[in-house]
Amino acid sequence: MTALLAKLPRGALVLVIAASALLALALINEVSFHRSAVALQSLGDRGTARSQINLMLRRVLDAETAVRGYLLTGRKEYLEPYDSAASEVAGALAWLRQFYVDERSRALVDEVGRGVNSKLAETALTLKLFDEGSQHGWRELMLTDIGREKMEAVRSATEQLLALEAQRVADERAQIDRSLRLGRLGIDAMLLLFVLALWLYARQALQLQRARAAHAQTLAEERDRLERQVHHRTAELTQLARHLQNAREDERARLARELHDELGALLTAAKLDAARLRHSLGAMPPEVHQRLAHLVNAMDQVVALKRRIIEDLRPSSLGHLGLVAALEIQAREFAARSEIKVRTRLEQVPLADSAQITVYRLVQECFTNIAKYSGAKLVQVTLGPDGDQAHVSVSDDGCGFDTATVRAGAHGLTGMRYRVEAEGGRLALDAAPGRGTRIEAWLPATAPAS
Amino acid sequence: MSRLADAPAATPDVGSGAALRTFLVEDSPVIRENLIATLEELTPVQVVGNADDESSARRWLDDPAHECELVIVDVVLRSGSGLGVLRAAAGQDAARRFVVLTNYATADMRERCLSLGADRVFDKSSELDDLIAFCVDMGDSLARA
Repeated sequence: MTALLAKLPRGALVLVIAASALLALALINEVSFHRSAVALQSLGDRGTARSQINLMLRRVLDAETAVRGYLLTGRKEYLEPYDSAASEVAGALAWLRQFYVDERSRALVDEVGRGVNSKLAETALTLKLFDEGSQHGWRELMLTDIGREKMEAVRSATEQLLALEAQRVADERAQIDRSLRLGRLGIDAMLLLFVLALWLYARQALQLQRARAAHAQTLAEERDRLERQVHHRTAELTQLARHLQNAREDERARLARELHDELGALLTAAKLDAARLRHSLGAMPPEVHQRLAHLVNAMDQVVALKRRIIEDLRPSSLGHLGLVAALEIQAREFAARSEIKVRTRLEQVPLADSAQITVYRLVQECFTNIAKYSGAKLVQVTLGPDGDQAHVSVSDDGCGFDTATVRAGAHGLTGMRYRVEAEGGRLALDAAPGRGTRIEAWLPATAPAS
Repeated sequence: MSRLADAPAATPDVGSGAALRTFLVEDSPVIRENLIATLEELTPVQVVGNADDESSARRWLDDPAHECELVIVDVVLRSGSGLGVLRAAAGQDAARRFVVLTNYATADMRERCLSLGADRVFDKSSELDDLIAFCVDMGDSLARA
């Protein structure tokens, strides 16, 4: 039971207490009512018994008085109360006999009955003697004091019975009083318990509310902390992406430089040697010249390969001719390669080196996507200042795509977005099926070069 | 071609053998050595000086004591750019002829160099023979003059 109680939540415990209190209250009330009702019923019965006893006594006295009146006057009408007395007394006695079941009362009722009967018998004898005309007889009987003694006996027994009755009424009153007291005590106690339960409940509700508030507070704090963390991590990731991007571009630039400087110089030197060889060989067999030509041709292929790798690593036009020229060259080359018309409207905007590469790569990525997916006929590339930012856009009239269904990583969009954001800029994508695609980016411009 | 015709007048003391006095702006020692050796062996070029960055090249060219008929310029230098050398020399000495020898001989680069006053642009890898031929021709023209 205690284990079960322990398992219940505290609110349920309070409810159980309140329910128990209500149940106990009802029980106490019911018991007290029942006891009082029984005692009251008993009190009523005792009242009836008292009146029956008194009635009997009065009838006996009435009978005596009636007989005396008759004896004095000789008029029959005086006997009327006597005539009815006998039956009424018998009725009252029968009632009392039925009412009293305990031995002591029974004995007293029997005593009363005997007294009454013997008094009535004495009275009946007196009346009989009078009616027979025995004046002497009835006077004798009267003077013997037998009647008075018998009356006294009735009176005494009656008084005893009444006294007993009074005693019992007092007892029952006390019983009712006790019941009432008990009921009152019970109700008070239950009320107290109820108030206690109510107070407990209210306190618990308050505690619950406080706990909820504290919980909500904790959750909010946790959420804020996580948000801060996400923000921090995102910033870190952006920084890392930028760093990696820069490191990658730096590495590519270094590779390109090395290839250009070292390999380029060696190749040029080799070709110069070849030129000198050809001159100094003079009249050698034609197959030697053929070999030499073959060697020069091989070196040319190596040069072309080196150039392609270098251009791929880092567009040389960007470094030598600037962003606008580099973009123009790129657009022209793309148009020639893909047979898609490209229109450019490019304006010089002062940008950091890394931002210039970002713009160049962005346009490059867009061109790649357009050639691969769009089926466009015309591409427009713009670059120009927008406030203190550089604005670059690439739009095509191709098939477009649904930005909601194409996954974020597709078409290198995520990479582009990251690159632009790492540069402190922002990228916007506008595309819908059948409406073409437009990619725009804003990058912070540097202070205009003097 | 008119400038070619003016060249002997500006440099009357070319000397015997019609040496083509040349200033070389090139930052790679390997190329420099090989280029000097090749040009001096196969053409009338006589390298009278060289520089490996823009500022020293400009200093040499600005000095009136330094005389040369041909300047060979690389675009990518240790510092600065061959384009800067061309820009600084534009309209200075009409007798001097400038040719560009570069690894970045794209159409745009050629156009840019020619607009800055270069006579010719040679690709460092694939047009060395053309450069040699150009030097021979120029040497011949000088000799004829």
